[in-house]
Amino acid sequence: MADRNIIEIRNLTKIYDLGAIQVPALNGLNFEIEEGSYTAIMGPSGSGKSTLLNILGCLDRPTAGAYILGNDDVAHMSDKELSGVRGARIGFIFQSYNLIQQLNVIENIHVPLFYQGKDISDYYDHCEKLAQKVGLGDRLDHRPMELSGGQQQRVAVARSLVNEPLMLLADEPTGNLDSTTEQEILDILDELHAEGRTLVVVTHDDAVAERASRVIHLKDGQVDKDIRKQDSDRKSENQFQEA
Amino acid sequence: MYALALIRIFQAGLKSLRLHKLRSALTMLGMIIGVGAVIALVAIGEGASHDAQEEIRALGAKNVIIRSIKPPSMREQMHGDWESFFRRWMAFYGLKRTDATRIKDTVPGVSRVLPMLTKRMSAVHERREVGCQLIGTFPYYPEFTQAELVAGEFLNAAEENTKASACVISLSLAERLFAGHNPLAEEIVVRGYESEQVFQVKGILRERADTEKLPQLPDSMGQTIAANVYIPLSTFKSLYGERNVDRSVGNLVLEAVELSEIRVEFDTVEDVLPALPLIDEALKAGRDERDFEIVVPIQEMVALRNQKARDTRMLLYIACISLLVGGIGIMNIMLATVTERTQEIGVRRALGATRSNITIQFLVETLLLCLVGGAIGVSGGWAFSEFREFLTGDSTIVKAWSVIMAFGLSVVIGLVFGLYPARRAAHLDPIEALRHT
Ligand SMILES: Nc1ncnc2c1ncn2[C@@H]1O[C@H](COP(=O)(O)OP(=O)(O)OP(=O)(O)O)[C@@H](O)[C@H]1O
Ligand SMILES: [Mg+2]
Repeated sequence: MADRNIIEIRNLTKIYDLGAIQVPALNGLNFEIEEGSYTAIMGPSGSGKSTLLNILGCLDRPTAGAYILGNDDVAHMSDKELSGVRGARIGFIFQSYNLIQQLNVIENIHVPLFYQGKDISDYYDHCEKLAQKVGLGDRLDHRPMELSGGQQQRVAVARSLVNEPLMLLADEPTGNLDSTTEQEILDILDELHAEGRTLVVVTHDDAVAERASRVIHLKDGQVDKDIRKQDSDRKSENQFQEA
Repeated sequence: MYALALIRIFQAGLKSLRLHKLRSALTMLGMIIGVGAVIALVAIGEGASHDAQEEIRALGAKNVIIRSIKPPSMREQMHGDWESFFRRWMAFYGLKRTDATRIKDTVPGVSRVLPMLTKRMSAVHERREVGCQLIGTFPYYPEFTQAELVAGEFLNAAEENTKASACVISLSLAERLFAGHNPLAEEIVVRGYESEQVFQVKGILRERADTEKLPQLPDSMGQTIAANVYIPLSTFKSLYGERNVDRSVGNLVLEAVELSEIRVEFDTVEDVLPALPLIDEALKAGRDERDFEIVVPIQEMVALRNQKARDTRMLLYIACISLLVGGIGIMNIMLATVTERTQEIGVRRALGATRSNITIQFLVETLLLCLVGGAIGVSGGWAFSEFREFLTGDSTIVKAWSVIMAFGLSVVIGLVFGLYPARRAAHLDPIEALRHT
């Protein structure tokens, strides 16, 4: 299962054209991400982590290079096609949770399905199950404002899973949380990894990187280091923490 | 399936608007006032023209009314010569009984002619005295004017033949003169400058048209009322002479008019307009001055209809402007909303929303503001109209077309003014939008 590549990027380049000057953010990246892997992307500020994640998330298009997601080259898709890819194949988890204020927990979880044309009445049970999975089964009709940061991020995690995505993308998912809550969220991510989901997490935090099976270090828009840990290492860590 | 999705979009729109109730309410205010104003203004205008039309219809669309008026020469400034002074002092003018018969004989399509003599008097009963107008006329007066007999009977042919001292009084006069007790078979004294006559009340008549309030007598409230005393024409003539002499003491003017008014009834409405030149012809014979005026209710109805069309057009312009202002207000708020909800837009885009999803979402929100505002405006305008009618008694008629137009216009405005903010929302860069705080 680990053999199948979900992502292949070839010579991926992103240059921000500001008219007068051109800001290179990514300079010819090459790597693959396998199904079921847990990848942390690290690097100093301005190294291009968010830029990379945005492209991986189909929120942005590369200036040059190829990006194969699943079996499709998404580098040159139209805005509408990219929206479809985001909605169907990608689960986003943001640093600032980004729940929709006027919707309750269950409705927030349902949003990606709405844009896939799936009505909430048909998927209520599915959404409820995800809420229970992240430990919010008793808060279904709460609004984001009535939840703590950690709880909001759990909702966001549930939301990212609702469309059964190919992979989950997270940009600093624990950046706004205290260390206890951070552990809880990271435990949930571990759990998802254990279920075989593919995770890509941008982080500054070594605690996050420790849990990943692979850490890609970026520097000036290029891959600086690409460290793969043994699956067994990570497993044992996990067991150690659970003990 | 599409219908359900649309319902969900509207539900989501309502949720967003409910998040900021006060703002949504204030945003809708322009729409509410605009739509309410359209409904109310149209209802008031419609009611007023309805009342006026009823009044004219009551005069009778088949009727032509010819009234005696002072000819121009008698209205001239005094020249100092005795002749002109005398003409003014003892003014003989106006319609004659021969005019009535000539019209009846020469104008085709005339079914009946109703001569009337009027005189300003006052009616006295016990200690009450009310200024009134004494009217000598024929038994078919009520049919002619579509007046309604409230109690008793109208004058009959026998009374006309015997010059009986019977009278019928108008309802408002009865109320003022008899204050509660039954006027039937009671006697009233009709007092003039130099005469007093006793009449027995045999009926009470409610005039249909306001124009029957000819004397325009101001009552204590400053309103005009119809205070009329109807007696047989023959009685009138025998009591007050062949020529009805009206003396106004203060001005030292004597006016002598044989008939105050002639009403001509035609067989059909179609006969009226072609006959007008013939009536003119018939009256011109034997006069060198025009001492009469012709009122043609059917012509006034047409004029009124044209006036109404003009008024309605004006109201529509006003309505469109106020709705436009409301629409601009809504657009303004929606632009602010889009800015405020930039992050939400980014999130939705990240979660799979296409540009058209976002466009529709904001368009629907604007539309909802307009629809809800329009609905409140319609009910408000309607309620106001009913309340006004209840309060003032003037007809206020809410027209279906005004409701449909106002509502439809608010939808159109919602779409037009919602489109720009919605497209602006849709064309935000998702990454920029997500980063927005
Ligand atoms: N919209 C933009 N326009 C111009 N330049 C940009 C834009 N977004 C990013 N950049 C530039 O691209 C480079 C990479 O930015 P990016 O946001 O990917 O860094 P990062 O690794 O996520 O940093 P951080 O750890 O601070 O989040 C930076 O030099 C930044 O200035
Ligand atoms: Mg970043």
